[in-house]
Amino acid sequence: MIGFLVRRLGWMIITLWVVFTISFALMRSVPGGPLSSERALEPEIEKNIRARYHLDEPLMKQYLRELGNTLQGDLGYSFKLADFSVNEIIAQGFPISATLGIVALGVALSIGLTAGIVSAIRRQSLIDVTLMSLATVGIALPNFVVAGILIILLVFLWPVFPAAGWGNLSQLVLPGFCLGLPYAAYVARLARTGLLDVLSQDYIRTARAKGLRTPTVILRHALKGAMLPVVSFMGPAIAGILTGSLVVEQIFAIPGLGVHFIQAATQRDYTLAMGLVLLYTTLLYTMNLLVDVSYVYLDPRAKLE
Amino acid sequence: MSEAKSELPSQRAAADDLQRYEQLWAEARQVHGVSLGRDAWRRLRRNPSAMLSLTILVVLSILAFLTPALPLQSPRQVETLRSFAEPTSEHFWAPHLQTPSAQAEGTNDEQWAAFWRDVDLKFGKLDAIEKLLLQARVAVFGPYAIGSICGTDELGRDLLSRLFWGARVSLIVGVVATLVSLVIGVSYGAISGYMGGRVDNIMMRLVDVMYSIPFIFVVIFIISILSEDSIKAWLIDHGIDRITIFFFLVGAIYWLTMARVVRGQVISLKHEQFVEAARTLGAGRMRIVFRHLVPNLFSVIIVYLTLTIPRVMLFEAFLSFLGLGVEPPDVSWGLLANEGVRVITPVKIYWWLVVFPGIALGVTLFALNFFGDGLRDALDPKLKNR
Amino acid sequence: MRSVFPYLALAGLLGAIGWAVSFGTLPPADFSFCNESEIKTIDPAIVTGQPEGRVIRGLFEGLVNWHPEDLHPIPGVADRWTISDDRLTYRFHIRPDAQWSDGSPVTSEDFVYSFRRFLHPATGAEYAYQLHYVRGARDFNHARVKVGESVEIELYKRPENALPDAPGVIVRGRLVDVEPPLPDNNDEPADDHAVEESESEADDIKRTYTVEIDGRMRRFRQREDERAEPSPDGGENYRWLLPDFEEVAIRAPDPATLIIELENPTPYFLTLTGFYPLFPVNRECVETHPFPSWTKPENLVCNGPYILESRRIRDRVRLRKNPYYWDRDNIHFETVDALAIESLTTALNMYLTGQLDYIPQVPATVVPTLLEQDRVDFNPTPYLGTYYYRINTTRPPLDNPLVRRALSRAIDREEIVTRVTRAGQLPGHSFVPPGLAGYEQALCEGYDPEEAKRLLAEAGYPGGRGFPANLEIMYNTHEMHKSIAELIQSQWKRVLGIDVKLQNQEWAAYLSHQRQLQYSVCRAAWIGDYPDPNTFLDMFVSDGANNQTGWGNAEYDRLIEAAAREAEPEARMALLHDAEEILMDELPIIPVYYYVSTFMVKPYVEGFYPNIQDVHPLQGMRIDTDKKRLAIESLR
Repeated sequence: MIGFLVRRLGWMIITLWVVFTISFALMRSVPGGPLSSERALEPEIEKNIRARYHLDEPLMKQYLRELGNTLQGDLGYSFKLADFSVNEIIAQGFPISATLGIVALGVALSIGLTAGIVSAIRRQSLIDVTLMSLATVGIALPNFVVAGILIILLVFLWPVFPAAGWGNLSQLVLPGFCLGLPYAAYVARLARTGLLDVLSQDYIRTARAKGLRTPTVILRHALKGAMLPVVSFMGPAIAGILTGSLVVEQIFAIPGLGVHFIQAATQRDYTLAMGLVLLYTTLLYTMNLLVDVSYVYLDPRAKLE
Repeated sequence: MSEAKSELPSQRAAADDLQRYEQLWAEARQVHGVSLGRDAWRRLRRNPSAMLSLTILVVLSILAFLTPALPLQSPRQVETLRSFAEPTSEHFWAPHLQTPSAQAEGTNDEQWAAFWRDVDLKFGKLDAIEKLLLQARVAVFGPYAIGSICGTDELGRDLLSRLFWGARVSLIVGVVATLVSLVIGVSYGAISGYMGGRVDNIMMRLVDVMYSIPFIFVVIFIISILSEDSIKAWLIDHGIDRITIFFFLVGAIYWLTMARVVRGQVISLKHEQFVEAARTLGAGRMRIVFRHLVPNLFSVIIVYLTLTIPRVMLFEAFLSFLGLGVEPPDVSWGLLANEGVRVITPVKIYWWLVVFPGIALGVTLFALNFFGDGLRDALDPKLKNR
Repeated sequence: MRSVFPYLALAGLLGAIGWAVSFGTLPPADFSFCNESEIKTIDPAIVTGQPEGRVIRGLFEGLVNWHPEDLHPIPGVADRWTISDDRLTYRFHIRPDAQWSDGSPVTSEDFVYSFRRFLHPATGAEYAYQLHYVRGARDFNHARVKVGESVEIELYKRPENALPDAPGVIVRGRLVDVEPPLPDNNDEPADDHAVEESESEADDIKRTYTVEIDGRMRRFRQREDERAEPSPDGGENYRWLLPDFEEVAIRAPDPATLIIELENPTPYFLTLTGFYPLFPVNRECVETHPFPSWTKPENLVCNGPYILESRRIRDRVRLRKNPYYWDRDNIHFETVDALAIESLTTALNMYLTGQLDYIPQVPATVVPTLLEQDRVDFNPTPYLGTYYYRINTTRPPLDNPLVRRALSRAIDREEIVTRVTRAGQLPGHSFVPPGLAGYEQALCEGYDPEEAKRLLAEAGYPGGRGFPANLEIMYNTHEMHKSIAELIQSQWKRVLGIDVKLQNQEWAAYLSHQRQLQYSVCRAAWIGDYPDPNTFLDMFVSDGANNQTGWGNAEYDRLIEAAAREAEPEARMALLHDAEEILMDELPIIPVYYYVSTFMVKPYVEGFYPNIQDVHPLQGMRIDTDKKRLAIESLR
């Protein structure tokens, strides 16, 4: 187990380095740079600014400089939010995105698992069809459509929630729901499929034959095995949820990382983009590691190799 | 005699056995005669919701293919005088095209020239098949087209027609990109999972590395790089447009998920008895993976497939939102949904611009899902011959 | 373990939510407005955007303020000023009660320091050209030294007791010799790209400067590393070698007087001193806390009506009333929130539910409905900006003026403003928008399909035949730009029979392609920096940084140059008009419409005036509490 984790940590460092290098190369080869602005600068003024950010140096030198700084934990200052360091931006935005993400995760797992289990047990019944139809709606409708409709309904027609903003619990409900809904739909479908697969297995028949009641069979024995596809879906998805969603954050004016993510890319904010990429990579890698570890927990036949 | 006597019971028994074996053999032959595919189809046919979904999907694909031959208005002709017109049944069947006729002025050739100019204005550049379909349309429907029963958008373009033309793009994007990801993902995941050990380790770490690159970044950057003038000119010379690049980018991204899922399943299956059995019988590795393991994964693969197609379609919408998707005047459903959401405000709701694209997306994805469920059940090897 | 785990997870989840929400709760401010995007910084010297301007106007104050109704200059930090008869010398008198937010007085020295910092190459100020009207300022900003003139050298050695971020020791002297010699610095380089290349080459050359300081010759040579020892070939290391700032005509003879001398009579210079890049910063604050930590709420010292209370990235900037502000009796809000909300629909939702008091823009699709409703809080106002199409005049067939004229005459601008933008924008037939006192616009000819066809035929493409099919309209991602491009695309198809494609680009790529002339036709817009036609017209001088069309015209350049030197207002306007005539005849750009500001402000906000630059000083603004209560009750 320890050896496994150490090996994985080594891979993680390699991954981070590869991601760093690819991102660096991509960002420098894309047209436009962090200094592009609508008003073109006089060449002399632009030269001053480039020198200020070391953008006038050869690429290899910039690469080594940034790599060195990153290794020391210094991600530098953002180009487009010049008053803040990338560390500060992440420190402010991540808890917000993470909170929203946790709420969304709660929504996704509670609704998704319930719906998935119920419709697997009542297979081919009306309730199965209804729940799976709802799940399909959740997947089929882009969450900006869901958000738009919910705002009209729950903010204007029946004013129970504030339109947007961040600060108290009531402002968390609508965005959390909108962000979680598509995931809930995925979880429901995956849980149903997984459970159906498991229910036809021999060990479940054995459990039933022992005379165990259906709920016990499902909760004790079947669910664990049925969670495999859900877990392998949720691992990477959690990293995505935690780092924020552009659409939901924009619609509900939430100061999380999702908006930074896209804007750093489109505005070529080299430092911020790099910081976010590395954060995302770390999170994702950790989540995938957790998925692999949980495979062993959920499925006794699988081994950590 | 005594010998004969003594032999009699055993002979009878042997004949009985033979008869029984023959009977069994006949039964077995009967059972064996059903291939996996035919068996699945037999069971699929007994599932009404799956059949309905299949019908919807087939009809939709045919309609999308035949769009130029349908009596629809122009999807791109701007008529700002009727911008944001509500759905109406007025002019339900009105002349729309400038087709050659006996009453009109000019010779036949001139009329046809004028017709093609008009078509160019209304539908843009068409390829040979589309032109053929359009001629078929003129032959059947003449100049007529269905009125704006779904309303019009900001620039007064007919929404119904845009939905049909959008279907062509969206369906192709969804299916092709998903198939690309399917082929790569399943083979990669199955091989990695079955091989195990060092090979699996390296293959999966490679996936982890690629997985860890936020692909939104990659897509934004690659599309921007490829839109540089010099590169773009080269790509166009080689017949590669943005949509083609999109297929491969998306395919190259989504296969990672598929690979992980498939690998997980293979790992849990590979210690099963049927795999051991196949191995004992001397089946090669590749044969075990692709003949024995992959069919067992169909249920998971198909569910993922039905989940991935909508995601690809929505991802295309998201890219349109960033300005990197389909370029106007081409349309896709994602683009239409985006345009629709823009007009949901508490001040004024142009509902038809959200509802109809929503229904189109919804029905398609519904059908995909139910068909996927039906197929899953039908293909499940454990249910075979039942 | 297994049974405890779910409970632990649940507890952790609730704890995390509670923690993240706990520091989020703020009581609402007295006045909240939508500030569109997150601001880049609050350092006045290095920002350029509208959102930054709104916050900086609350925190700092320049020599003059702009009157909220018509934006003419009114006393700010300077309570009075005199302008010499030749309009070249400005003498400002700093008001005695002007104070920084730490209680120290604002002096003319603060302005000299701030302007020096603004112009210093190390600051990298984008707007530095707004001060190039001052004699000597451009050379200082561009670090352009000349042999025989006075220079200043900043060394790495630091003065004793210097503040952490103070500059090093500065020595002054006369530049005697440069080895290798400096290239000839013609003011207007002939070819932009060639010069850039030669300059980047020149950057690699390390020069040795010989400077006579206090009668002694000293040699200076810049090295890569600040700690590098002087090399045997001689020359002390230095950080900056610039023209002597003493030569820049900004002087403070005493703490209450600031004298600025200009190169040319610039009628809008007084207005410019109220433009936010020219606002002062506090020297002690800036030098004690290295950038960007001086911009933190706990460190910032400012001189405007408000101080910075807190900032949350992409959420809000909260301002609190500055007790040291000289005109504090005229400040009626204790707190002000500037919210960074990028989605127009979200801002509208928050305005309608009473979370915001002012939003600068509404989504275009709701404009007609809002106008139909005849609301008191929605009155679109002309805005000093033009929406136009740039044309790459280096690309055939667009290098032919006939083609450009045909394209222009085939655009039905009336259809665009009545069917797409729909907020009362006026069709644009000139580059300079209307509403500038004393200026008569030069108009291009309007929509005329027959004439457009004839012009295109004359250019050799009758009925659009033979016209290249690879022409593209490039625009940056935005619904409105897309709709307009689609409409123009269909108008050109309809009238001229030509096919153009659309090319959507995200922002950075759009800017980059524009600058490198990698486009055929592209959407653009220009918002005036100051209320004078020059802010528009000087863009299109040959090789101007913002020209970006490849177009150049010697006569045009001459007229713009002559206008800059002309002291007589009427003659100056006439020169500018003549220049615009040329622009509208040659059409390297095709104007489409003039902007309108579609802001909404609650009727209970008083002291808020619509104006042409959409600038709304917080001074004097107040909320009628009775009206506000009624408004909130009516919402319920």
